[in-house]
Amino acid sequence: MSHQWTSGSVLRHVLRGQRRRAVLGTVLASGHQIGEALVPVMVGVVIDKAIATGDVSALVLWLAVLAGVFACLSYSYRFYARVAVRGVEEAAHDLRTRIARQVLDPRGVAEDRLPGAVLRVATTDATGAARILRVIPAVASAFGALGVAVVTLMWTSVTLGILVVVGAIPVLALMQVLGRPLEKRLHAEQDAASASAGVAADLVSGLRVLKGVGAEAAAGDRYRRMSRASLTAAMRSARFEAGFQGVATLITGVFVAVVAVVAGRMAADRAISVGALIATVGLAQFLIGPLQNITAQSAAFAHARASARRVAETLSAPHRPEGEGDYGGARHDVVLDGLSAGPLKGLDLTVGHGELVGVAALDPADGAAVLGVLAGELAPDEGRALVGGRDLAGLRAAEARAAVLVAAHDADLFDESLLANVALRPGGPVEEAIAATATDDVIGALPDGRDTRVGEQGHALSGGQRQRVALARALASGAPVLALDEPTSAVDTVTEARIALGLREVREGRTTLLVTTSPTLLAACDRVVVLARGRVDAQGAHAELAANHEEYRMKVVG
Amino acid sequence: MSAQGNLLPVATGRESWRTLRALARARRWPLIAAVAALVAGSLLAMLTPLVLGRIVDLVAAGKGAAAMTGPAAALVAVAIGAAFLKALGQVLVARVGEPSVAELREKALERALDLDLETVEAAGTGDLVSRVTEDMQLVAEVARDILAYFAISLLTIALTVVGLGALDWRFALAGLCAVPIQALTARWYLKAAPEVYAAERVARGALAQRQLDSIGGARTVRAFGLGERHLAGVAEASRAAIGLAMRAVRTQTRFYGRLNGAEFVGLTAILIVGFLMVRADIASIGEATAAALLFIRLFDPINIVLGLLDDIQQGGAGLARLAGVIDMPRRPAPEHPREPASAAVETEGVTFAYRPGHVVVDGVDLSVAPGERVALVGASGAGKTTLVKLIGGVHATGGGAVRLGGVPLEDLDQATLRRTVALVSQEVHVFAGTVADDLRLAAPEATEERLWEVLTMVGADGWATALPHGLATVVGEGGHRLTPTQGQQLALARLALADPPIAVLDEATAEAGSAGSRELEAAAARVLRGRTSLVVAHRLSQAADSDRVVVMAGGRVVEQGPHEELIAAGGGYARLWEAWRAHRAE
Repeated sequence: MSHQWTSGSVLRHVLRGQRRRAVLGTVLASGHQIGEALVPVMVGVVIDKAIATGDVSALVLWLAVLAGVFACLSYSYRFYARVAVRGVEEAAHDLRTRIARQVLDPRGVAEDRLPGAVLRVATTDATGAARILRVIPAVASAFGALGVAVVTLMWTSVTLGILVVVGAIPVLALMQVLGRPLEKRLHAEQDAASASAGVAADLVSGLRVLKGVGAEAAAGDRYRRMSRASLTAAMRSARFEAGFQGVATLITGVFVAVVAVVAGRMAADRAISVGALIATVGLAQFLIGPLQNITAQSAAFAHARASARRVAETLSAPHRPEGEGDYGGARHDVVLDGLSAGPLKGLDLTVGHGELVGVAALDPADGAAVLGVLAGELAPDEGRALVGGRDLAGLRAAEARAAVLVAAHDADLFDESLLANVALRPGGPVEEAIAATATDDVIGALPDGRDTRVGEQGHALSGGQRQRVALARALASGAPVLALDEPTSAVDTVTEARIALGLREVREGRTTLLVTTSPTLLAACDRVVVLARGRVDAQGAHAELAANHEEYRMKVVG
Repeated sequence: MSAQGNLLPVATGRESWRTLRALARARRWPLIAAVAALVAGSLLAMLTPLVLGRIVDLVAAGKGAAAMTGPAAALVAVAIGAAFLKALGQVLVARVGEPSVAELREKALERALDLDLETVEAAGTGDLVSRVTEDMQLVAEVARDILAYFAISLLTIALTVVGLGALDWRFALAGLCAVPIQALTARWYLKAAPEVYAAERVARGALAQRQLDSIGGARTVRAFGLGERHLAGVAEASRAAIGLAMRAVRTQTRFYGRLNGAEFVGLTAILIVGFLMVRADIASIGEATAAALLFIRLFDPINIVLGLLDDIQQGGAGLARLAGVIDMPRRPAPEHPREPASAAVETEGVTFAYRPGHVVVDGVDLSVAPGERVALVGASGAGKTTLVKLIGGVHATGGGAVRLGGVPLEDLDQATLRRTVALVSQEVHVFAGTVADDLRLAAPEATEERLWEVLTMVGADGWATALPHGLATVVGEGGHRLTPTQGQQLALARLALADPPIAVLDEATAEAGSAGSRELEAAAARVLRGRTSLVVAHRLSQAADSDRVVVMAGGRVVEQGPHEELIAAGGGYARLWEAWRAHRAE
């Protein structure tokens, strides 16, 4: 059972892991914000103490203080940014590797989710959850700046302090009231806009298919309609945003005007100095920033929490159960004993050590279930799957995988050289496997031969070439028991016949299950087992079955 | 325009400008109005510090509180006016930017759809996809958010300098003390930043690729016990990405640090000049205040302008790639376009080589009668696929002629060609959208009844009926997942809807596995009925069912005739057939 994660525990984990950076970042961010708040105050002081008085030493003194304020805000920001980015990156790295470890665990994950979804969690959400490390300094420093501003104002004049603080609240509230619905709208419009990008990508990816049937005009019309709808949405959202910005500018402008006038009247009455007047107006303008930042961070926090929730779901997904035994079998035979799993209903099937057995599943689901059980991806409801006399369910996952290799029909290649893709397990019959699968033909057609990189998921190769490389890889593993799933479905007839012979040779003396409906491959097997309705329906040599088994003739020989 | 290898061209700076100018010209009046609104708004906003300076002067002159009424009214009026102009300016900018973006993306896609298949085959679709998505996104961001910001900030800066000068030329001069530092900073940043950010992007891409490899291929990783090795790979790529991210943030913070320095120098200079001028009675305290406040207002716009330079550079690069596609020369239309007289296909001494000296199709003469069904057979590399691509007009022949209905391919315009001959390959692509949308790409006007008719023809009516929302079910990327067999049935259904007189199938039934292949072969046979067809046969049963079998080897036709005759002749085809039947014989 895996550790149970929640969004809260992921966020706490991130903060605990980067505790020092989080604290340091908060201090530095506060230094920066406070420095920003003090700039208008210092300008007021310089005007008051030096310009109004003509005192040179006061000028020098206060300019030096101003230099100190600038140095403080500038260096605080510089090191805050570095600490914060480092913290986010380190935390994201930690989450990424945890997710990868979880997904790549030999036991596998009980409910396999689509790789795309997991990938999004490992890339986007790992960083998203780590961003909590930026939220906290941002909120803390905004409050710090707010505090400094309020204290400065109160010190100048309690009336002004109260006016600015109390006045800022409705200003902020109004922006929130106006801003919220706008934000929702913006998201909707952005979705509409990105939909048109999705359509473009889809149409262009299928360009060859489109042009094959002369559908480019229809596709162009469809895209133009999407694009026009996106444009309408974008224009509407631009108007909304402009309205919002206008109102926000208006509110802050009027707020600053009111503060300036009240402070001006007080200065005229000699209640405050000219410098205090300047500082007050400057602070009133400045305050809007941290206030907006505090509210903006609530959305940022919600984002981080949503990402953390998806990370937690991925990390908490239970592994498939495994046993504790080691394999250590000497004779690698396979016995499926009264096996019920998925569509299988009490299947009895034996493959002797060194035997090559074809499994012809008249319903593909039966074949998939046999492979699923052998791969440890499908747990038997009843009965057992024995390999070398040991129950697969009682073995540690890594041991079971080492004993039985199940090669999927659409196996993924890795973005490495062709040779690196084939020679995955050390010491296997690599050269023999390359020759047996006619992969040498593939190699001959590639620019750098066996050192050619096969590209993202093997896309530098054609479907048939990919399949041959994947089969070579499976054969090169030299696994004690190998189960293959339709290994030649994308290979041409002539090559398939070559592969049928080569496969026999490479697996000579090793146990092999071949789940397929290809007559060429089945003819090369020692024995063919016909599965129908979850059980063994018949057994025998291919030629016999082809002659005598009506359903086999229909589905396989066809 | 420069073409790199076989990839698509990238526009030069001048060509990109031409594209931009054309977009702007089409929206001249909104553009002028937008600029006017932005200038007016910036001018008005500049009045605030000037009025504040006036208040300081009134206070310094010992005027009573009553004197504040005038400046108060002015401040409120400025706030209202500036807010209105800001909103107006934004709407007007959107009226220029958004339709330009839409026009650009539509033109790019239209041109991409219109590329001839030969170019697409050579360049692959990956580059094209990234241009219509990522590059388009870059350009749209610049047009939408960045350009307006940039323009407003630039205007504010320019007008503020003018404003400072209006107060007193000495203030403007003091403010300009900051400029050398900013100029040097910008020059350094623009030189250093692109390389730093590009390296970071590359490292992030490599990390994403690693994760895709390992997580996408998790089943394979587990099956082969490669977990630890792949984990180490992901961790290593992740570490590399972190290192480069830190380098990028160091560059960025150094940039802003230097700009802070410039701010301090400028502000101090203005305060000192103010001090000296007030002492010499050349300026009032209020004017010195206004000058300092004006200068403080410049901090943000300067950061924005210099910080956005990098984004604008990137947007420009995106535009160059888009314009490169849009401006690609089109294949010249035939001078005397003709209509094919029949559904006959004829090749005469057709030759083709992808690389000089490596002839793939070598003098093929083939004549297919209207309605005849021909199967092409041979080992991989025999030239079958290339031959049918030549017939489908994907590649121009190296020598010899291809005629459809008696008309040489060169005399058919693209629309006529695509209407006359359809190609279906083993590439399966289910278009994202409903099943009905997918099918109607081939025949936009098709009725629902007609759609069911073709689905029945290709044997897809069963699963289509069982879909959760029938023909309205969303399939393809992000939708209901179809098997390769089902995807290919849709491809055959599209072919039936397009209804061309000539059809070419290139192993269209191969990817589906043995059982699926039989289903698809039957479907293909029904769709091809009544059309002239050339089928590159994956399975010999397809050859046996055709009117004539053409056997190719080494780019030449080595045998041809009806299946029975070739069997009786006892040549290479007979031996192939023997091997194929061996395991299928009763």
